[in-house]
Amino acid sequence: MSAVATEIQRLREELRDRGATVKTTELPAAERIERVKDVFRRRIDANMATYLETCLHCGMCAEVCHFYEATGEGKYTPIYKVEPLRRFYRRELAPMGWLRKLVLRDITPADLDEWQKLVYDACTQCGRCDMICPMGIYISPMIGVMREAIAAAGMQPAENKALAKEVLENGTLMGIGPEDYRQVAADLQAQGIVVPLDKPKASVVVLMSAMDAMLFRGAIGATAQIMNRLGLDWTIRTNAGDAAVFDWTSGDERAKAAVLRKIVAETISAGARTLLVPECGHGFAALRWDAANVVGTELPFEVMAISEFLGREIEAGRLKVKPLPAGKSVTYHDPCKVGRWSGVFDEPRNALKAIGVEIREMESHAKTNYCCGGGGGVVLNERANKLRAGAFHIKMKEADATGAGSVVTACGHCRMTFIAGAQNANWQKPIESLVELVAANLA
Amino acid sequence: MRKEQTLGEVLAAKGVSRRGFMKFVAATTSLMALPPAMIPKVAAALENARRPSVIWLPFQECTGCTESLTRSHAPSLEGLIFDTISLDYQETIMAAAGHQAEEALAEAMKLNDGKYLLAVDGSIPTKDKAFSCIGGKSNYDVFVEAAKGAAAIVCVGTCSSFGGIPAAQPNPTGAKSVTEVLKEAGIDKPVINVPGCPPLPNAITGVLAQYLTFGQLPELDHLGRPKAFYGQNIHDRCYRRPFYERGQFAETFDDEGAKKGWCLFKVGCKGPVTYNACATIKWNGGTGWPVEGGHGCLGCSEPGFWDWGGFYKPLSQGQWGGWKTLGVAAAAGAAIGLASVAVTRSRQAKARQEAKV
Amino acid sequence: MTLLEFARGPGMQWALVIFLVGVVWRLVGSFLLARNRDLSKPKGTAYAKAGVRAMIMRSIPPHELEKNIQFQHLSGYAWHLGFFATLLLFGPHVPFFKQFLGFGWPTLPNIVVLVIGGFTLAILIALLIRRAIHPVMRQISTLDDWISVFLVIIPLVTGFLSYSHVEIGAVRYETMLALHILSIEVLLVWFPFSKLMHMFYTFPSRYQVGVAMERKGVKA
Repeated sequence: MSAVATEIQRLREELRDRGATVKTTELPAAERIERVKDVFRRRIDANMATYLETCLHCGMCAEVCHFYEATGEGKYTPIYKVEPLRRFYRRELAPMGWLRKLVLRDITPADLDEWQKLVYDACTQCGRCDMICPMGIYISPMIGVMREAIAAAGMQPAENKALAKEVLENGTLMGIGPEDYRQVAADLQAQGIVVPLDKPKASVVVLMSAMDAMLFRGAIGATAQIMNRLGLDWTIRTNAGDAAVFDWTSGDERAKAAVLRKIVAETISAGARTLLVPECGHGFAALRWDAANVVGTELPFEVMAISEFLGREIEAGRLKVKPLPAGKSVTYHDPCKVGRWSGVFDEPRNALKAIGVEIREMESHAKTNYCCGGGGGVVLNERANKLRAGAFHIKMKEADATGAGSVVTACGHCRMTFIAGAQNANWQKPIESLVELVAANLA
Repeated sequence: MRKEQTLGEVLAAKGVSRRGFMKFVAATTSLMALPPAMIPKVAAALENARRPSVIWLPFQECTGCTESLTRSHAPSLEGLIFDTISLDYQETIMAAAGHQAEEALAEAMKLNDGKYLLAVDGSIPTKDKAFSCIGGKSNYDVFVEAAKGAAAIVCVGTCSSFGGIPAAQPNPTGAKSVTEVLKEAGIDKPVINVPGCPPLPNAITGVLAQYLTFGQLPELDHLGRPKAFYGQNIHDRCYRRPFYERGQFAETFDDEGAKKGWCLFKVGCKGPVTYNACATIKWNGGTGWPVEGGHGCLGCSEPGFWDWGGFYKPLSQGQWGGWKTLGVAAAAGAAIGLASVAVTRSRQAKARQEAKV
Repeated sequence: MTLLEFARGPGMQWALVIFLVGVVWRLVGSFLLARNRDLSKPKGTAYAKAGVRAMIMRSIPPHELEKNIQFQHLSGYAWHLGFFATLLLFGPHVPFFKQFLGFGWPTLPNIVVLVIGGFTLAILIALLIRRAIHPVMRQISTLDDWISVFLVIIPLVTGFLSYSHVEIGAVRYETMLALHILSIEVLLVWFPFSKLMHMFYTFPSRYQVGVAMERKGVKA
């Protein structure tokens, strides 16, 4: 077992054990329902209402969902996973709600138990279903609302509760905090890579991620090398908190807001024009699309994913890379939150082309890419092992079909899923990080 | 008129040849939907039939039905048969008038009590019986009295059969059909409806012929109409049907389609919902019928045809109220929708305000 | 009042009124809800173009998304087209629309409409069976789905029976025609309360998703 895969397994177990120790007082059923409804009531707007009104129950979304494809079970139909939201809308917000109340029963605590498993184990919010829906329903953001509602009722998986508690109480993620960031920086310094920590002012703030700190330090080093090579005025703020913004996916509104506010405040205080998110899909999507709404104003800086940044710098000629000897072929896996959620498709591919690798696209790539199966926190969810393996199998087949020598991606979460999945399936394909690949080939 | 003669004798006296008589019998037999083997029986029965007494009462009517009958195929066997029945009372064509006429009626009813055939054209006013009177007696009373002694009642025309034009909305006289009045008066008599505005003369004579031949009523459909004449759909028998199938329609009465004789569905033809023999027997001695004349069927042998929303309104149109009504409906929908939005928005705004995140 | 008189008279009037009240009520009641303002910096801003593009392109999904649902997709196309062809291109139907619009249009020969209608009916029945046996469809189907499909099938069936002028017991053409018109009226009354409203929601919804994805730099 590779060291990383072992570490991922350890993380899962640790998280499970920590979850088991989280003491939570179970809320009374009526209170849970009321909290769920409160989130729904606040989150549904006219756009979402249109989506909820127009679903035809055609079932097409299931046919593009890796979890349904892997299991053939109807309950994994994407739109079915937001059924309580739809039910609430139809009964309590929609026109003619009073009429629907006659035939449509209310949400029950049993529903929440059932949907808790559907939205946390069986959806990565990858948004592939969003691309097929013939009615144009934007499903994946509604999964986010479902998670928020279930978290508000205190019914999210214990692992998620443990993580949110940690964020709110200690400001660390999986025990990783400012101290560890400093340690990582010191280790990199020892290797000769300068990592400017906590500069009071900098034009670029780069985030650190706990996952990278634990599993993929190479990615942090690569990022630092590239920043230094570009000669940018950059810094890592150890107090900014973790790029992973895990609670964006786990649905805990308070924890998510706390992390996002802290990162935004640190970036503003550094006077940065750019906030650079490392290879972390959720963190990027949360900061890029959610942070401004959480803090309530437009952000005075630009939020960029490292893959987007690399492509842009290379294209602009500011970042010089040297081409690899011919013969290396890769397939690029679009992390869903960076790709379908944020429209970063061309930049990473341009970066790969610049270093002279042949990109062999999977049948489903870019905006129709299959998720790795571990997004949305599913990779750390032990309960979802079987589902995740099924989804990963689909991904594996598509990657194999390309005949490419390795899989390159730009998201630590995807990377974890690939490594753990490959370990399980005894799959030999190397998994590479885009930023590491580029850093290794700087001219 | 000498009542003792048989029909055969009367016809012979009028110079109708045996060949001509047999032709009529064959035609009538087929119209009655009887097998050809029945022709000799019908002929024998008709020849030997006694002249039955017929009392013809007109109520709220236009005399069109009588016109239809008397002007048919003149001179024809149907007409002659009509001549040979003992028509004891028929206001339009009887010589007597006033008290004499009423006395003739009373006498005929008394003489043939329980045996006479009562023919009725016109509907009977019920809102105020005085709306239509003859010799100081209301139609209603005259009819009820006559109906009591009748062997059977033949309703000639749509008014007596179903109410007809006098019953058209808003039906100011409360006009009712014979069947309705009988039911109201609690009289149970066999009724044959021979509707049409007017009915085909052949239908009237055919019914009489069958009654004379077999002494029984013809087979009737669910509206009390003889199946032999009202069993077939105009649209099914229409010579313009192929144009319907090809989707070739006259859009107006003077367009190319109308000139070419295309289907009249779109200019309001009610053939598809009308059961009558017009398309096969035709009118005016078989020379033509409304659709052949370029006009859609009005559906005149069907109950309610007078209130079907206009003769020129296609069957696929109906009462839609006009854009004003629909506009009001849409505005009402918008008003309710806005109210619903206001309530929901305020609930949501409150929830958002109270949220502590 | 006969059934046909009711169908062509008050039945039609009320069905249209209920349809309009309901449709406008539901559309206004959902479209005019508050729209959240998104404060994040948009990646693309050609909203109208993206919205219109999504309205069109959602009808032509990429192969890799469509490959498992080709039957569903094509049958969906086929029956919708068949249904509207039958509705709009059958000669006797045109006066119904002409009464509102004041103009008509050329139509197809009956035999062509019959074939199209029969094909449509066959697909609908196949889709109904699919809904009954497919795991996804079984999971997500509600009463609304069953009633709506049923109410779309009934006008086709009564239409065929009317057209063929068959007598079924006491039900003759005039009654069958009445049932046919009534079946449409029932459909109109059911419409605003059901998923049939997708007729009005689909394109706004597609437009929205096109705009939402344009913000994120993705072609919906």
